[in-house]
Amino acid sequence: MTLRKTLSLTALTLGLAAPALAEDLTIGLATAQTGGLAPYDQPSLAGFEMRVDEINAAGGIAGKFPIKLIAKDTRSDAAQTALVAQELVDAGVQIMITPCDADPSIAAGMITQGAGIPAFSFCATTPTLPLAVGDFMFGNYPADNVQAAMLAGHAIEAGYKTAYILTSPDSAYTLKLPQYFGQAFAAKGGTVLGEGTFAMGQQDFSAEVTKIAAMDPKPDVIMTAAYEPDFPAFVRQLRGAGVTTQVLGSDGIDSPTTFAMGDLVEGVVFSTAGFATEGSALAAFNAKYKEKTGEEPNTVYIANGYDLGTVIEVAVTKADSLDPAAIRDAIASLENVEGVTGAISYAGTMGMPLRSVSLVRIVGGNRELVTQGVPAPEEVPAP
Amino acid sequence: MDIFLQQLLNALSLGGTYALLALGLAVVFSIIGLINFAHGELMTAAGYVMAFALAAALPFPLAIALAVAAPVLLATAMERVAFRPVRGASGTTLLLTSFAVSAILRVLFQNFISARPVPVPMPSALSGVINLGPLHLGIIQSISIATTALMLIGLTLFLNRTVAGRAMRAASEDFAIVRLMGLRANGVVATAFAISGLLAGVAGLLWVAQRGSVDPLMGFLPVLKAFIAAIIGGLGSLTGAVAGGFLLGFIEVTLQAWLPEAWLPYRDAVAIMLVIAVLLFRPQGLLARKTVLKL
Repeated sequence: MTLRKTLSLTALTLGLAAPALAEDLTIGLATAQTGGLAPYDQPSLAGFEMRVDEINAAGGIAGKFPIKLIAKDTRSDAAQTALVAQELVDAGVQIMITPCDADPSIAAGMITQGAGIPAFSFCATTPTLPLAVGDFMFGNYPADNVQAAMLAGHAIEAGYKTAYILTSPDSAYTLKLPQYFGQAFAAKGGTVLGEGTFAMGQQDFSAEVTKIAAMDPKPDVIMTAAYEPDFPAFVRQLRGAGVTTQVLGSDGIDSPTTFAMGDLVEGVVFSTAGFATEGSALAAFNAKYKEKTGEEPNTVYIANGYDLGTVIEVAVTKADSLDPAAIRDAIASLENVEGVTGAISYAGTMGMPLRSVSLVRIVGGNRELVTQGVPAPEEVPAP
Repeated sequence: MDIFLQQLLNALSLGGTYALLALGLAVVFSIIGLINFAHGELMTAAGYVMAFALAAALPFPLAIALAVAAPVLLATAMERVAFRPVRGASGTTLLLTSFAVSAILRVLFQNFISARPVPVPMPSALSGVINLGPLHLGIIQSISIATTALMLIGLTLFLNRTVAGRAMRAASEDFAIVRLMGLRANGVVATAFAISGLLAGVAGLLWVAQRGSVDPLMGFLPVLKAFIAAIIGGLGSLTGAVAGGFLLGFIEVTLQAWLPEAWLPYRDAVAIMLVIAVLLFRPQGLLARKTVLKL
């Protein structure tokens, strides 16, 4: 309570100090602009800033709350993220945005939860993230178990009976997503023949691939959440060992590197946060982004960051207040917010949004939509 | 049996890359007592030049030549700008300087190129398979083994048959005497850095060929492995570095292949424990120099 008082006092002091004409919504960005998470946080921030600029150009949220951003680099380090989050809380932010990974997001979330400030992770996918922090923590990306359920549904529809999953205990994403897939696949009548492991970043899969090549009977499909540099190295070595088994991946491989691999990735299906069908909102966004920056958006994280701006806009409009607790309640009640990647709902979830997942097949170095949508809640493995 | 032979080939290919990297570290360490942790960024530089050369549609051989030349230049520049002013300082100073160089290069790559990985589209001919009876050998894997062998033979010839090479070997024994003999210290040190740049460039291309992309932080892990390999082999010993590289490759592949499933997540811990066991019996490494180390 005292903390809350101090906060409002700080906010008040800041408000008095700055010659603000309207009431600003201050958003703190404790995100990684350098280090290992920068590849995800940088594009997310670019998209987010683009949306914020649009909102401010239109006079702020609901025409009365202009957005002020305070961005600080966390260097992809959890301890630094906590430090930065504390600085931002002290500076009086009303909403916090945390990096694209569960660990630093939890570190920052511990601070925002205590201060009663709603926080979003840009694109962490671990479904247990909000559970680990509390009711002020939200995700902004289709969760691992949701992606896994979509992939398992596809695997069964494609007629695969047996699967092999490849995991890495080095991160929650690379470990849990394939395991959720295994659960969902087994629940729908498939059989998981085995689970292999790898160490992230070492890009030597020769021993693991030799084991897969020697499997009898061979699995119908191999599922992994490995991403760069592991996924390209794995597929190269797998195909290099003469194994032609179908491979399923997750959103981590939605990157130009994957599409530059030619025949090696032909037919690979992966889950991602959006697919720009002709005439869709995402296609319009991509065109707008290209017009503004001169570059094609090379990752869906940009659109995903852009959508977070919309989520915040709708939530603050609904709360009609800059009180962090009112904003939190508004976020938790959002239903079918129209984002460029699809509809986004927080109502009835534990903090991870219910939003559309697209399954994409790589054909001749291009994307081909397999299916998109939200899996039925009973098909999603419990976090 | 087939599986055993296959894993042996796998170990040879991985160990070869480690050997090249460890050798790059050892060449510099043997002369000025510096573990150059910016060695990994030389690999990254080779990768970026390859990516940009291929993006500019340069012919493949020319792209390779440029990608190998770039780290040679960068390594000599590094020596001139960062390491020459602190030459002869304590091992700690040298080590910290190399960390600084490494961190600066990483941030430059991140801010001026891209934080996201840049694809390196290798020609699809490189993704084929050579079948030797029941064994499958990826083309990149074979190139990796062949290149390692060529580089090792070439380096041995250079060190034994040329004046510059002999000077380098002599300098690794006793730098002061070499200078008394009238050889220019700067020349010898610059040659050492140029060779380490060449080794990093070749290893970097082999590394990038596997992963298909280059990112700013790519160099950290391989240089760590190379460091471990150089320690097993005996710091400062060139043959030791090669032996250490191959041994580390064999340990890693063997553990991955035959550890029980439940133990696999601890593979790296087990590998490091084996390395410690080796060091318990040979504290100076497998093939250490007899002289006292400067570190």
